Amino acid sequence: MNFETVIGLEIHAELYTKSKIFCGCSTKFASKPNENTCPVCIGLPGTLPVLNEEVVRLAVKAGTALNCRINNVNKLDRKNYFYPDLPKAYQISQYDLPMCSGGHVEFECEERHVRVRINRIHIEEDAGKLIHLEEEPFSLIDYNRTGIPLIEIVSEPDIRSPLEAVTYLRILKSILEYGEISDCRMEQGSLRCDANISVRPVGQKEYGTKVELKNINSFRELQKALEKEEKRQIELYRFGEGHKIVQETRRWDSGKGRTVPMRSKGEAHDYRYFPEPDLMPVIIKESTVDEIRGSLPEMPYEKAARFVEEYRLGEGEAEILVGDKKLSEFFESTIREGASPKAAANWVLGELLRIMNEADLSSADITMKPAYLHRLISLVESGTISNTAAKEVFKEMFESGGTPEDIVEKKGLSQISSKKDLEILVKKVLEDNPKSVEDYRNGKTQAAGYLVGQVMKASQGKANPQMVRDLLMREL
Amino acid sequence: MQSDYMSAWDISKGIAEKKFSAVEIVESHIKRIKERDGEIGAFLTLCEDEALAQAREVDEKISGGRPVGRLAGVPAAIKDNMCTDGIRTTCASKMLEDFIPPYNATVVERLLDEDAVIIGKTNMDEFAMGSSTENSAFRITKNPRDITRVPGGSSGGSAAAVAADMVPVTLGSDTGGSIRQPAAFCGVVGLKPTYGLVSRYGLIAFGSSLDQIGPFSKTVLDSALMLEAIQGKDERDSTSYRGEYQKSYTDSLGKDIKGMRIAVPKEFFMDGLDDEIAASVQESIKCFEGLGAKVDEISLPAAGDGLSAYYIISSAEASSNLARYDGIRYGYRAKDYTNIDELMEMSRSEAFGTEVKRRIMLGTYALSSGYYDEYYNRAQKFRKVLKGQFEDVFRSYDLILGPTSPVLPFKIGERNSDPLQMYLADVYTIIVNLVGVPAISIPCGRSTEGLPVGLQLIGPHYGELRILQAAHAFEQEIKLEL
Amino acid sequence: MKISREDVAYIAKLAKLRFSDEELDRLTREFETILTHFHSIDRMDLENVDLDKVPVDQQSVVRSDEKTVFEDKKKLFNNAKSMRETYIQVPKIIE
Repeated sequence: MNFETVIGLEIHAELYTKSKIFCGCSTKFASKPNENTCPVCIGLPGTLPVLNEEVVRLAVKAGTALNCRINNVNKLDRKNYFYPDLPKAYQISQYDLPMCSGGHVEFECEERHVRVRINRIHIEEDAGKLIHLEEEPFSLIDYNRTGIPLIEIVSEPDIRSPLEAVTYLRILKSILEYGEISDCRMEQGSLRCDANISVRPVGQKEYGTKVELKNINSFRELQKALEKEEKRQIELYRFGEGHKIVQETRRWDSGKGRTVPMRSKGEAHDYRYFPEPDLMPVIIKESTVDEIRGSLPEMPYEKAARFVEEYRLGEGEAEILVGDKKLSEFFESTIREGASPKAAANWVLGELLRIMNEADLSSADITMKPAYLHRLISLVESGTISNTAAKEVFKEMFESGGTPEDIVEKKGLSQISSKKDLEILVKKVLEDNPKSVEDYRNGKTQAAGYLVGQVMKASQGKANPQMVRDLLMREL
Repeated sequence: MQSDYMSAWDISKGIAEKKFSAVEIVESHIKRIKERDGEIGAFLTLCEDEALAQAREVDEKISGGRPVGRLAGVPAAIKDNMCTDGIRTTCASKMLEDFIPPYNATVVERLLDEDAVIIGKTNMDEFAMGSSTENSAFRITKNPRDITRVPGGSSGGSAAAVAADMVPVTLGSDTGGSIRQPAAFCGVVGLKPTYGLVSRYGLIAFGSSLDQIGPFSKTVLDSALMLEAIQGKDERDSTSYRGEYQKSYTDSLGKDIKGMRIAVPKEFFMDGLDDEIAASVQESIKCFEGLGAKVDEISLPAAGDGLSAYYIISSAEASSNLARYDGIRYGYRAKDYTNIDELMEMSRSEAFGTEVKRRIMLGTYALSSGYYDEYYNRAQKFRKVLKGQFEDVFRSYDLILGPTSPVLPFKIGERNSDPLQMYLADVYTIIVNLVGVPAISIPCGRSTEGLPVGLQLIGPHYGELRILQAAHAFEQEIKLEL
Repeated sequence: MKISREDVAYIAKLAKLRFSDEELDRLTREFETILTHFHSIDRMDLENVDLDKVPVDQQSVVRSDEKTVFEDKKKLFNNAKSMRETYIQVPKIIE
């Protein structure tokens, strides 16, 4: 029997605001625990929330970017549960009137046209962080993250494979980055992903029992966790143990590479949602929605099309570039500095990505100036340095942020392009290798290669190989 | 007792005119509190040093010729559910016995801005849940008019402190009658402003959509003065009123009320109303007619059904508002526990009193899945219908008049055993909170035993001026000596 | 209005409160009385009441996205039972 996998994702993204959702505390990373806290976000008695207008704006932006309907009447609700990281013992969230509903994202994946419908996007506040001490019977609480604004983006179960899930998440991430809605740094937890997964025999209409996966911190882990869970569920069905799949939450253990059932938070589950009485309904005017929609920056799919059109890039190249907003901006800046699109694309997609991958860095870590890359390209095009040398300079530029000229100078990498200097070298090599000269003249053309090599060696690799070849030919 | 009483109005005028100093006033009031409060039990915390320091500041301002606020040197006491920076704020609960807020409630800031002197924190029913102040974890407050009786609640301490002349003005909070009912029981003036007129920031929440802070005083003028000081838009409270505020109430008192249209709902005079209260209210109606008001009996059909809707909504909100007291960040922490869940459960179970637990349970029930629509949602719908009925009345009338409480102050311990009986004491006041309109309770007479009777005047949204004018005219007319 | 003791015991769990059997019985009786009283509004027609309609004066105020700092962190956490450096310390939580 063949099985079909059904996946839906719930994505939490921290919104890109200066202050928290209900108080003025900073959202910046703080070096000290509980540094970014005040009576409101630690839930002291008597305090009240006041909604940050930027949170509404960014949520509407996300909604418009994801083709959602924006609901004009919004209310906030309390989700009640006890947990030490939740200072008020309720989370202010949205229950039955989310800010955005009914959107979609479309993409191609393994020759399937995938359309993932978005059920809803709502705003809510984040909880604090718990640290469990290994050696002592204590946990420590840091409320810096409490009250950081989040949007939760809930998809419909339209995803059919782990790879599609990853692709969907990548696209969503790039859209949120392009819209400057969230900085989407998964490794820092500003983008988090929970996945619902079930399997069913191909052709069956009803969904199988779904399992929720939590604690997924990277694209790689998302794919692995889904693959493992998919395999686990299919195996259970295959061996007639389908009843062992229960609706539960399982935690992805990246160290062990498997999912494990989570201990439920308290035995009783009932969030007792009700409208937050401390906040009045939020009315979003149609004109505000239009204004935000109108101010949306270019989205990744639009940019990719433009790159193909304007810079004659391949579709694959364009997609890789726009998949990473900062990378695509770096690429375009380099062109704006004067580099040819082809050369810029070669460097960015080649050396730059290679170095980033090797060092496990993200585009946010690029300190190199686009102008320097342009100048490096010029140095190659003018023949001042060789391609090989340029790669070395590039690596140094990436690491130190220095100018290409300084690095070429410091490392003595400039090619000897002066005809006079080269003539001297060529003459000397010809004098020292009469045998090879003889061979060449007798028709052994490969001897020329040897002689070029000797000139290069004598120049310690700095000679311009093309000029060396030309001079040699003339002398011979 | 009357001899040493001085109104807030007279104190601030006297201090501004240098007839006496703020320090003298504060010292004499502290002395009085020390003499009387042993018997009454109105205070939980007395801030003697802070008060004297504040009084000295006021005196310095005056001697330095600097401008002072409208409450310069007026000793005020505050219900112990409003946060005072650096001063213990307990909600009369074992849960917050040691809680010291790091900030001031907006109303406290406003009083300080007007140069009032915060002299202490007053007793109350735990977390403002109750109608007799017997639910305080710390002490019983006695009714200064008859010390065998309760002062009403939940702001019983604030009402008793004024009634016993320990301070001229206090602040209370009113979720279902917690200012007006104790005002009626203690024979003082108590005003619950329109929801949103006074900031709730720093008021420890009970029922967030119902809670409202307001003043107690002996005279209508003092309540008007207090309202001027504490009202106003607050950026920290999203439910704060954003429209125009009446700049002065005190300026406009004394205006006659000829032609004022007053509605008296017949539903206020049905089962359970004490005969003596009914008689006293009927007398008051005659007095208003004598003042030129036009009084009609009307019907407010939903008025009689408000009680359980009120208990559903207020308890639901309370169950959520009081969930933060889990022993983790502040407040009481149980001594014995084996894990974090037990720490939370034991702390809550040991530190909350019976009535608080009862309401948390009722509220949790009303919000739990399967019951939400049947209870919470229906209660909210009822509330909307009730609002509509009030709006209809206010289209034709300026004020609604009736008794504040159906019962006279009862004996300490008398109604403790039956919660529903206790809840019935709020039947006329809770509907006002459900609708969000302002209302005042003013003394209107005495029972044969000499117990005070309160009259409630209810106005439309932001109709405080009208209420105060009518109450003032009535007060001047009947000149009740209590 | 019939409420079982088990219902009330479940609510106690949700509310993180512990009660003796006698207390549970008493609460059960009280709930019945109060909720039965509530059904007095059954005679009212509440079907068509729309709670999602929002009057203009009941719309939320928002604040602009500006940072403020609560300076006195020591005072802010002075009510905590136990701190470790600037963390709040609690008994170990097992997830």
